[in-house]
Amino acid sequence: MNPYVPRIAVIESIVDETPDIKTFRLRITDGGFSFVPGQFVMVSVLGVGESAISISSHPDDAEKFIEISVRKVGNVTGSLFRLKPGDKVGVRGPFGNGWPVDKAVGKDLLIVGGGCGQGALRPLILDVLRHRDRYGRVEILYGARTPQDLMFKYEHDVWASVPQGCLLLTVDRVPPGVEWKHNVGVVTRLFEHVTVDPANSLVCICGPEIMMHFAVKGLLSMGFKGDQIYLSMERRMKCGVGKCGHCQIGGKYVCKDGPIFTYEELKLEPDKIL
Amino acid sequence: MGGASQLFKTDLEGLDRLIRKLRSGGYVVYGPVKQGRSWFFLEIDSVKQVDLNYVRTVLPPKKLLHPPREKLFEFKLDDGFEVSEKPTPSAVALFGVHPCDLKAIERQDEFFSQTPEDPYYLARRRNTLIIGLTCTRVDENCFCLSRGTGPEVSTGFDILITDVGNGYLLEPGSAKGLELLKSLGFQEAGDEYLEAKQKLIEELKKSFTKHMPSEGLAELAKSLLDHEVWKETAERCLSCGNCSLVCPTCYCFDVYDVLELNLRSGVRVRELDSCQLLEYAEVALGGNFRRNRFQRLRHWMLCKFGAAGGGLYSSCVGCGRCIVYCPASIDLTEVAGRLRGGG
Repeated sequence: MNPYVPRIAVIESIVDETPDIKTFRLRITDGGFSFVPGQFVMVSVLGVGESAISISSHPDDAEKFIEISVRKVGNVTGSLFRLKPGDKVGVRGPFGNGWPVDKAVGKDLLIVGGGCGQGALRPLILDVLRHRDRYGRVEILYGARTPQDLMFKYEHDVWASVPQGCLLLTVDRVPPGVEWKHNVGVVTRLFEHVTVDPANSLVCICGPEIMMHFAVKGLLSMGFKGDQIYLSMERRMKCGVGKCGHCQIGGKYVCKDGPIFTYEELKLEPDKIL
Repeated sequence: MGGASQLFKTDLEGLDRLIRKLRSGGYVVYGPVKQGRSWFFLEIDSVKQVDLNYVRTVLPPKKLLHPPREKLFEFKLDDGFEVSEKPTPSAVALFGVHPCDLKAIERQDEFFSQTPEDPYYLARRRNTLIIGLTCTRVDENCFCLSRGTGPEVSTGFDILITDVGNGYLLEPGSAKGLELLKSLGFQEAGDEYLEAKQKLIEELKKSFTKHMPSEGLAELAKSLLDHEVWKETAERCLSCGNCSLVCPTCYCFDVYDVLELNLRSGVRVRELDSCQLLEYAEVALGGNFRRNRFQRLRHWMLCKFGAAGGGLYSSCVGCGRCIVYCPASIDLTEVAGRLRGGG
């Protein structure tokens, strides 16, 4: 099998999440697909190019569909935004390692998302909802620029109603006239409300690297250890299969060794904000 | 087998017969040809075109196994789209590859064989026959001895040629190579040929003036990320990417689509890329984790020291090309020396 040749997927539906984020539901046309939470796909708009995008749906649905939640930031994502249901895109993958769902069994989970990083965390949150008994206490912290920039708003009530868990939301600012009853400030400001036990929990983080930098700093001071903190990293990817070199962080390939690393694995590598 | 593998000997005319035999067998043969002051791997039909006394080519044989630009697939954008592949490499024989380049090819072979395999590289490699050539001289920028990649090699070739003065020693390195040597009716070489080769190797070993030992270098470099040598050297660096383009172990590539003017069909292409270029590590919204020149220089050198990138797969084999072709006279062996506490 040639790992560089994409499979064809049909866009089944599109949800407008925020002014610049859409969720595309894709059906792979030539047979099965399976993945684990936290993995990503390379999505092609042929003639424009390819981008690495995390899968935002749950693995149990993969036979029927996968979802990707895309922020419009460049050529490929801009082209995706012009597509309609019924249009076709190329998909390669899934690639990468995934969130530590097996290691997390029986442990408390702290899930920290920032901006469109929440897309990579949603499969994990959906896994908690579908397999609640696997995990201990589950606390979800999620921050965005403004209330309008929060993704998956239609699911927040369900996330918030997880038994032995909570959903804490925060935004950087609230535009005039927008109603907002949650927190204002960076996502690390929510750490004072965290009650999971650092001795028996894992933390899963995805967001801008500068946000993850401050999150790690805060978590270490709260008593979490570097090998309990899992970070989903963003780097440019051209191949997704550990060959093209673009996603290297020192000696690590984000596409193949990651995209999820513990802070312990990354802390000595160069060329990062963390 | 009981004892050493079969050895053969021949003269210049015999080498010419070897090349002709390869060509009549369907191989396109490339060898080191001198043009102006430099050597290039070019298509040859006779040993007369080859400089068997060459030092190093401008581009390594990488240009034939992992070409500077290649088509990954074609696509059509009619109703949705369809994708077609076309991996059909022709048989290539590389004639006269030096030990450093042989080792580099071995590393690329291993790198591209990792799961998932790279079908383009491996298809081309499977169709490639490699005839190595022991060096006859060492220049001031050669340092394979200290990298453990030469001047003596025992693997990475189908046949190894050594000029022993009054003739050529031919050592088979694969079943294919042995078969070829037998089919040409070459005579078996006596022990004096091996002894002459050993003497040449010993002489070569004495002529190295440049050294960059591997021992502990990766660990040391990684522990000295804040060493002043990175920024100081980067002051001179032009970020031109020459070092990585001429490097036999640099494999990084870019991928992009080219759409035909009819906007209905196109190709996806990959092209050698360089971590020295600013765009290489760019991410969405203009982010770049190696925006500073010293970070790019440091990344490349760490990679060559075996401390970043592909580790051993992309590490330095001591061919000296990056030193020769750096317009700013940057020498990674000097940087390694600084890290080791000299200068």
